[in-house]
Amino acid sequence: MSKIKVNRLENTSTANGGIDIDTSGHVQVDGLQMPTAGALSNRNLIINGAMQVAQRGTSQTGAGYGSIDRFSLSLSGATATMSQESFTLGQTDVPGADKYLKLDVSTGNNNSGIFYKIEAQNVYHVINNTVTLSYYAKGTSPTNGLKVGIMWYDGSNPSTRVTESVTLTNSWVKYTHTFTVPSISGITLTNSAAFLEVSMTQDNGDTGTAAYEVNLAQVQLEVGSKATPFEHESYGQTLAKCQKYFYRKLAFNAQPVWLYSDTAGSTQIHFPTEMRANPTFSYSGTLATDINIYYGPSAAYRSFSGLGGSAASRQSARIDVTGISPAVTAGYSLGLYVFNNAYLDFDAEL
Amino acid sequence: MSYQLLTVQSETSIVKTLDDKKLYIPFDPDNTDFQEYLEWLAEGNQPLPAD
Repeated sequence: MSKIKVNRLENTSTANGGIDIDTSGHVQVDGLQMPTAGALSNRNLIINGAMQVAQRGTSQTGAGYGSIDRFSLSLSGATATMSQESFTLGQTDVPGADKYLKLDVSTGNNNSGIFYKIEAQNVYHVINNTVTLSYYAKGTSPTNGLKVGIMWYDGSNPSTRVTESVTLTNSWVKYTHTFTVPSISGITLTNSAAFLEVSMTQDNGDTGTAAYEVNLAQVQLEVGSKATPFEHESYGQTLAKCQKYFYRKLAFNAQPVWLYSDTAGSTQIHFPTEMRANPTFSYSGTLATDINIYYGPSAAYRSFSGLGGSAASRQSARIDVTGISPAVTAGYSLGLYVFNNAYLDFDAEL
Repeated sequence: MSYQLLTVQSETSIVKTLDDKKLYIPFDPDNTDFQEYLEWLAEGNQPLPAD
């Protein structure tokens, strides 16, 4: 078999573009990096890397999940606000982006920052492999730099964490980090609690309290040693992926509640996608004010004192309405209404 | 923060009260709130009995 050995193929009339082949054999087409490993689509292992979905709200000051879906805030003694921010449409600093994550740390501490957990079963193919993390960022870094890294955790045991240090500037810059995925020796990745964690934090050894700010967009983690262009997907696709981990059911009317006694009844809420685990249920709003029950035979709303989840699967939850007053007739039904800014939450996050 | 068992029509769940917010946690080993509850039990704590 004959070979053509060239570094570049291009049209005779062009000064750039065409096909470039680097010394490792990796290929760029018209300036865009082609994958060095893995599939051509569904490359991004990060859900919501475009920061578009924020079911819980656009800002949080508490630790954990609270604003942009799938991205978790670590405080570790720090004081910070994490929020979803908007670009001016058509801006060119981060091509194609309309949202970004802003982490505004007013009082720093070690291990404060941003964490992202990827279900282990979704990344078995990165074991013994190389992955590349890419993102746009700007801002200021903690004194020892912003530590960007990955590690495994099986619910009990961590792997080593591989990190690189970044010093952010006041301009949007695309950063890439190629990591050799840490060994899974001693880690049980079949645990339901196992995950691969991506972190962007103040260094563990840096207990300084200086403020810092991280603005972050288009986060992508992919198999291989090169960063390919950010993989855009529709809002609906991303929302459906996020709802595997968290589902907020917003205002609705007249959800039937079957009355199994004269003071209590139950209803079934079906999730739009199967969740990662049977979810934890909670609600926001005042019962009998923002969340109401309507009793048809009396043509009136009834007071009630409890709204709880007593049984759940990954596909639906049973919600009980209790303490109905005055009493109703067992066997009849009610309508459940969630008004105003009230909502029901189902949480199956890692 | 407190935990209390809740039984409704033979189905039991765990109610975690945190800052006046109630979280209804299923008995599912894959649920991270349930995993936290098990760790809390392992520390020698006991939930409040069902009402």
